[in-house]
Amino acid sequence: MPSVSQLKGRIRSVNSTKQITGAMELVSASKMRRAADASLATHEYHAHATELIERLMADGIADGHPLFVHRPMRSRLLVVITSDTGLAGAYNSNVLKRYVASLKMDKERGVRTLTIAVGRKIANFAARLDEAEVIGVYKGISGALTPSDYRAIVDTAVEKYARAEIDAVDIIYTKYCSSLSQEARLWHLLPAGHTPGKEDDFDARSAIFEPSRAEVFNVVVERIIEIQVVQAILDSVASEHSMRMMAMKNATDNATELSDDLTLEMNKARQAAITQEISEISNGAEAVK
Amino acid sequence: MKIELVTLLGSKLSVEGYEVILPTAYGEISIFPGHEPLVTLLAPGSMAVRMQPNDPDEALEYYATTGGIVEAGGNLVRVLADEAESGDEIAEDEARAAYERAVKMRAEARDHIELEKAKELIDRHAVRLKVADLHRRRRRMRLN
Repeated sequence: MPSVSQLKGRIRSVNSTKQITGAMELVSASKMRRAADASLATHEYHAHATELIERLMADGIADGHPLFVHRPMRSRLLVVITSDTGLAGAYNSNVLKRYVASLKMDKERGVRTLTIAVGRKIANFAARLDEAEVIGVYKGISGALTPSDYRAIVDTAVEKYARAEIDAVDIIYTKYCSSLSQEARLWHLLPAGHTPGKEDDFDARSAIFEPSRAEVFNVVVERIIEIQVVQAILDSVASEHSMRMMAMKNATDNATELSDDLTLEMNKARQAAITQEISEISNGAEAVK
Repeated sequence: MKIELVTLLGSKLSVEGYEVILPTAYGEISIFPGHEPLVTLLAPGSMAVRMQPNDPDEALEYYATTGGIVEAGGNLVRVLADEAESGDEIAEDEARAAYERAVKMRAEARDHIELEKAKELIDRHAVRLKVADLHRRRRRMRLN
């Protein structure tokens, strides 16, 4: 049985770990809320831009547009979003699993895979894989997004697709469903498609387009692709923080339990020592009689 | 007329107003209620909103934008801006410092990519400075 002073030391170290994980839980909770709000805020722009593109597409303007062309798949670009730091439960490993599955699928069907790594975890992981062809690494992207953070990713994807160097662009990210549920998923970014939305009071059929329909269309398409990347990043950041919050909550709970157990053990050890001393004293007194 | 300003990072403005002055590729345009349906591209610059028909120019609300898409028609003007900042949100000192940094960057640019980037930053912060300045002037006008 460990001595009282050994147990005291262990309790102290468990308690200080508990303090750290508790603090990390609180930090993650507030970061998660901010990222989730930011992700929600992009929805309005996305909805309006989608409406606009649908009305333009009704006229067949998308036919033959370089970003809407479907080609037989020979190579594809995967944009994989993870965090820079660990201690976030299964957050990174879920994304990496998804990534490995995609790589394997591409290998089986003879498709060349290019990777853009967003976050230190995927960058390090892909660097160790022979079959991963990494063409870009972005680190230090967090909840406070600025256009320079995501524009380079979007530009690379769009340019390569338009030049027919790649035949598809997919994003692997973690969708933020709620603070309790997040899901690693793969989202098709290009070739661009569209999902029907609701009707608007704005009538575009008779509208004037300046400089021209095609130019307006080009800008809207680019923005829509951009916002999908932004949403994927913001969703991932919110998921990261919420999973870290849960992981830290579990760690704090475990530390509390461990500290309780150790305290009990320490009390037992102290009591045993006292009992032993008393019996020694009384035995000694008996012997002297 | 309903005026909406929506950015990638959320809605900035949704009000009833009278006039919107916008920078476009072909120069500045003003949109009044009952405008013909129009979709056009927003150029980087300052956008202004007049709330009431007889508001003086000093009462205009200014926003610094970096480009985007404008939909106008009937009783609605919707600006989908890449980025937009109101005069309120711009800290003038910070904007001036950023402008000066960009000017310095242009002077020290080693290749054309850096030069382009510096020029873009200069334009951007010049607009921000202008909007902040207009905003300050407007506030002073109100106080008098």
